[in-house]
Amino acid sequence: MTTVSLSGGPEPAVRAAVVSAPARTLERAWWQTHNAQRKIFGYTLLAPAALYVLLLVGAPFLFSLWLAVSDANVGDPVARFIGLENFRSAWEMDTFWIAMQNSVVFLVVAAIFKSLLGTSLAFLLLQNFRGKKLIRGLVVIPFTLPIAVSVLSWKWMYDSQFSVINWVLFHAGLIGGYGSESWPIWLGQPQLALAACIAVNVWRNFPFSAIVLLAGFTSVPLEVLDAAKVDGCTFFQRFRHVVVPMIFPILMIGLLFDTVFTLSDLSVVYLLTQGGPGNASKILPVLAYQIGIQAGNLGRGAAIALFLVPLLLPALFLVLRNLKRREY
Amino acid sequence: MAAPRTAREKEVRRDLLVYAGLTPFVLIAVFPIYWMLITAFKQEPDLYRMDNVPFWFNLPPTLKNFSTLFFQTHYGDWIVNTMTISAWVAVITLLTAVPAGYALARLRLPGSENIGIAIFMTYLVPGIILFLPLSRVVATLGLQDSWWALVVVYPTFTIPFCTWLMMGFFKTVPMEMEEAARVDGCGQFGAFIRVVLPVSLPGVLTSVIFAFTLSMQDFLYGLAFVSPGDQKPVPVGVPTELIRGDVYYWGSIMAAVLLVGLPVAVLYNFFLDRFIQGITGGVVK
Repeated sequence: MTTVSLSGGPEPAVRAAVVSAPARTLERAWWQTHNAQRKIFGYTLLAPAALYVLLLVGAPFLFSLWLAVSDANVGDPVARFIGLENFRSAWEMDTFWIAMQNSVVFLVVAAIFKSLLGTSLAFLLLQNFRGKKLIRGLVVIPFTLPIAVSVLSWKWMYDSQFSVINWVLFHAGLIGGYGSESWPIWLGQPQLALAACIAVNVWRNFPFSAIVLLAGFTSVPLEVLDAAKVDGCTFFQRFRHVVVPMIFPILMIGLLFDTVFTLSDLSVVYLLTQGGPGNASKILPVLAYQIGIQAGNLGRGAAIALFLVPLLLPALFLVLRNLKRREY
Repeated sequence: MAAPRTAREKEVRRDLLVYAGLTPFVLIAVFPIYWMLITAFKQEPDLYRMDNVPFWFNLPPTLKNFSTLFFQTHYGDWIVNTMTISAWVAVITLLTAVPAGYALARLRLPGSENIGIAIFMTYLVPGIILFLPLSRVVATLGLQDSWWALVVVYPTFTIPFCTWLMMGFFKTVPMEMEEAARVDGCGQFGAFIRVVLPVSLPGVLTSVIFAFTLSMQDFLYGLAFVSPGDQKPVPVGVPTELIRGDVYYWGSIMAAVLLVGLPVAVLYNFFLDRFIQGITGGVVK
């Protein structure tokens, strides 16, 4: 067959017809069966999305592993393998450890506040009252606004001199006038900068926790609660033994997603403080950006970004387990 | 207060308690938006006077901040860029995610559940890990310094999310519809295009909305890949071009983000439940 087609030989079409005609009458070729056609059709439909993701997420991820062990630089297209040098130099950098510590503090403190605020809000929204839809629509605005947009609004509210927050605090008699020692400069004082960034993250994501929880609460069938009530359970018992076990998975998955989003977000800190003053609010993503793009040291930037992986991995693993369990 | 006597009284009291509890949440959530709104319409001197009450206009409102924006900056370009990028991203997402979602949900492919989960998990690979290698990809494609870079990159998170979303949608369409179409002589592709797709239109629409809103949520890729002033999308252009050194034109900045932020927030609001369902439940829904 190949030789025929290679030599452009006579009538390949005729030959093909001769081969396939008896095949059709006797038994259809494997690719002609109904089952096989469905699979071919299916994988064809799947291919564009799968290829896109493989080429632009899978391959770059592997490429970032390569970058991290190379001396890749923006100016120099040829990268050499330098082993774990980038990881070692990051490891020995003071700024790296400050950023690592800030990232963990940021994550944990923000998660605590988001859980508390989110749970309270979810309980309130669970009640039936007039105007519920409108109020729900209003409280989720922080999560739906594009992040760069809302961070800029906060930057203006944190202004060193004309901060509206300070105006309120001043007129409530809680702080002294501008220039006095008790006038907080939210983004300029090392003790306040990270807290100010955390506050924005909490503000932005507590509605997310609330809505995820709300979905959890409303998925607890009322009959189960009623049954528990009939059986003589107190409100607290019902909450502890019926509601919590049923909503726990959904609460967990909300927190896991939030962890992934929060750990890898650079925009809040980058737009508010760029990690300053000094390194007071520097977190890993900001450091990776500054070293990788601004300083042009791709290799070391990639290595620093990869230090996020051990922090992300447990969350991703749990998400995965949850998704798998839900299939059945 | 005396104990409530009637059921009606009880109900009113409970409502009041709930409102009292919700008030601080609503205030905290909405205040930054209100602050943007009022700042955008204030005259410059009105912004910088601490002796007045800042929550309302002390000088007459003005549209000057908006005209500055459109006539003295690249803002018009950024809006056009944002819209064009989002539209391309939506097209790419639809062409890939809708067929993929269908294949995974309906065609009983071997390993389809795992493939579905694997694709969705890539949604969770953070941009901060991918942006350095992607900067190389973008440079290789010759797209650095153009908004086309973002058209290529944004589908890396819209495709996984929307594939997952569409899987959920297609699972809710009754199998009989396709079977009936097949009996009536439609091919596999015909059954998909002519029968299943039309009834899944709400799902397709939702995917388009998410392609838009998720693109608008990005900041990192835009910041890293697009530097010329006239090529940026709005969320990147405003903070990088309207802030020069220590000079802040707060009126114009707030006007700029408000014009884009508010419509996106409203749109997203309507589809928020879908988003939550998508990432927490997805397939099982």
